[in-house]
Amino acid sequence: MISLLGRGLVLAALFFAGTGCLAGFVAGSRRNQRAWEWARNSAYGFAASMIAANLLMVYALVTHDFSVSYVAEVGALRTPLYFTIVSLWASLNGSILFWGGILGIYTALAVWSLGDRHREYAPWAVHVLMGIAIFFAFLVASIANPFAPVLNPLSDGPGPNPLLQNHWLMAVHPPMLYLGYVGMSVPFSLICAALLAGRLEAGWMVPVRRWMLIPWMFLTVGINLGGWWSYAVLGWGGAWAWDPVENASFLPWLTGTAFLHSAMVLQRTGKLRDWTLVLGMSTFLLTLLGTFMTRSGVFNSVHSFTQSNIGPVFLGFIGVIFTYSVVLLALRSHKLDEEATATDQRIGQRTDGRSGILSREFMILLQNATFTVFTFMVLLGTTFPLLAEALAERRLSVGEPYFDMFALPLGLTLVFLMGVGPALPWGSQAPEAAVKHFIPGLVLGGVLAGIFGALGYTKPMTLLALFLIGFTLYSNLYEFIEPVRARMRARSEGPGVAALKVWSKAHRRFGGHIAHYGVLMAVFSLALTKGYRDETEVVLNTGEVTQFHGFDITFAGGRWTKEEHRDAVMARFEVEGVGAFEPRLNYYAGKMGGNPIYTPAVYTMPTGDLYFSILQLDEPSPGNWTVIVRLIDQPYQTWLWWSAPLMALGTLITLIPARRQNRKPEAA
Amino acid sequence: MSKVNWKILVIGLGVTLPLVMLLATGFGNDPKAVPDARTGDPAPHIALADLQGNTWSLEALSGTPVLVNFWSTWCGPCKYEHPMLLQAAEAYSGVQFLGVIYADEPKAVSRFMLKPPYKGLMDRLTSKDIDYPNLPDPSGRAAIDYGVGGVPESFFIDRAGQIVYKSTGPLSPEVARRELDRIMRK
Repeated sequence: MISLLGRGLVLAALFFAGTGCLAGFVAGSRRNQRAWEWARNSAYGFAASMIAANLLMVYALVTHDFSVSYVAEVGALRTPLYFTIVSLWASLNGSILFWGGILGIYTALAVWSLGDRHREYAPWAVHVLMGIAIFFAFLVASIANPFAPVLNPLSDGPGPNPLLQNHWLMAVHPPMLYLGYVGMSVPFSLICAALLAGRLEAGWMVPVRRWMLIPWMFLTVGINLGGWWSYAVLGWGGAWAWDPVENASFLPWLTGTAFLHSAMVLQRTGKLRDWTLVLGMSTFLLTLLGTFMTRSGVFNSVHSFTQSNIGPVFLGFIGVIFTYSVVLLALRSHKLDEEATATDQRIGQRTDGRSGILSREFMILLQNATFTVFTFMVLLGTTFPLLAEALAERRLSVGEPYFDMFALPLGLTLVFLMGVGPALPWGSQAPEAAVKHFIPGLVLGGVLAGIFGALGYTKPMTLLALFLIGFTLYSNLYEFIEPVRARMRARSEGPGVAALKVWSKAHRRFGGHIAHYGVLMAVFSLALTKGYRDETEVVLNTGEVTQFHGFDITFAGGRWTKEEHRDAVMARFEVEGVGAFEPRLNYYAGKMGGNPIYTPAVYTMPTGDLYFSILQLDEPSPGNWTVIVRLIDQPYQTWLWWSAPLMALGTLITLIPARRQNRKPEAA
Repeated sequence: MSKVNWKILVIGLGVTLPLVMLLATGFGNDPKAVPDARTGDPAPHIALADLQGNTWSLEALSGTPVLVNFWSTWCGPCKYEHPMLLQAAEAYSGVQFLGVIYADEPKAVSRFMLKPPYKGLMDRLTSKDIDYPNLPDPSGRAAIDYGVGGVPESFFIDRAGQIVYKSTGPLSPEVARRELDRIMRK
């Protein structure tokens, strides 16, 4: 019954996607009101049927309806409810359905938020968005059908992959990434809409940039949570390994971040138009590449789903979308040129049109160039093993040394530009005034590096990173606080009132600064964990004590526990003056049964983590346990986890719609 | 068509199409499989001294099935699989187990062997007169000859001196049993 209903909903979604795509085209090319209403209603229809199909699958999972193929694949009676719901994205077919559901949510929200404004663009946007929707609905309806009926259903199933059941982060990391990946289809559609409509006004760039910010925020959080999950579960004490699929999520983040900045230049000066569009489109294309990498079986990774025949179809789609984007841009960008004159003139009133080297737009240009090199190098490192195999029939992998080689200098360059950029005004400025801005920042950088140098962090690259962080922190704080002080002076208001007035009026800019603080936190953590992580492996018998980084650690023995869905053996470590920690090995029944999932324990302090990871745990004689444990001292690790909420907060503040103002808008 | 922006078209397609083609080349591969060109080949010669100074060579063992396990004390998974290997050496006394110590200090190895659970299991083997020598490979010669990409790796060699199976990563008891049975039979 559920199989039939689910299939019906998916087919309905496919139908609505088809009519929406077609009606969008008619409405866009003929300016036809009825077609536009069709397109919009079809978009809502697609959203409703896809979301309903997802809810139905959750229902099937929760009620353990093993006559549905996907439930038979990942469901199990012993799995707790919470993980049963999460199983929606535990395996390939469910994850594609979930993808479609999120596309539905985004579609509905995007169409609703555009409303009846932007009538020249909106139908084209729906046309493209529904074109993408056709593909995903087709996948769910055909080769990735999770609703296929099982003729002789069993009474129980194998349960989801143990790695997914092992930690609560697995309930949040994948959906955040999906929200990031899928959401990129909206700015892509809006950009295509501008090209199809043959015009790009400053007014249309507002929704384009906003719709980029939303998935960018989810992507940021998703990547960060993925690192946290890896740290909390995989037991090697690291957050990032330059694994192909990690890279796949990082690539759109790089181009998306570059886009968010170059779009500001475009909105203000009319410059970098084609480039900004290329960045925006590439971001979506790179998310498709990321999806392909996890689902095609072409790359070996901790994220790989099992091999399936979805790969070639997906690659075909990627080929079509890539070609479509390039051809669309090549054929239509001249149309934008003709249209742009008016826009340029309007913008010409704000600046004199020329930009000096010491201007914010020039720094954004440099930042864009750095991001582009970064993207290229990561893409090269990720695909190089394939290239080597295709051309030289050699199997190799590109590891951390390659990526670290460029990530460090490029990352630090970006931090530096993040400090210089906001300190410079748009247009041109006399160098003396700019340099005056920089001096206190350089001093703060020196102080920060000095403090950590005195604490023993003396590696040159770490000190350079800390220096740049201090510099950038100052220049972003200055931009935050100086306008408040100026207002206090000018209007003799108190700091609270002045801050509220200034920050609420130009909240988008201040949101950007807050996001910058988040980035600085992440860089700060990375600079210290990279250079000063220390680890050791010790063998301890029950009652034995070991010293590590000033901690007295006693091994108090081990014990077995039985939980609803797993067995676990844990080792108890008592840290003097702190408490007890129990890293464990979890054993799940089912597919991967027998192989333990190692789960570390972490003592988190602001200045660093103490990390326990069991390598082996035995009980040679009753009551007498032997453990081989890896102890890791990970300085300032927790700062990395807190960077994402800060970046998300900054983005959310930026997303708050501006109040209508009668006066001329401030230069924000 | 004079309005076509050829620059975008050529650069765009020049970047994206080769990328798509490159991705397509990956379909035939099983990403989890590690090539083992050595399977089916005669096992490369090994002649190394164990920690006590006795020399062991594959030639001298001809006619005996052999399991060569590359490992080191700094490798967690190696230690994880070791108790199982020692138990297997006891159960399959007809197979000669050889541990080749990869990129490690002999001192660290000796120290490791004095600790439980290694020591207890090793003593049991000795009491049953089963040799399980561990051979330091200071030059890494044996590892290079066997194309070892990372430890642990195990090579199952039959009586004829041919590599029948290569395992990468910690051995599971099932695979170990299956392959040990196979080289015993051959």
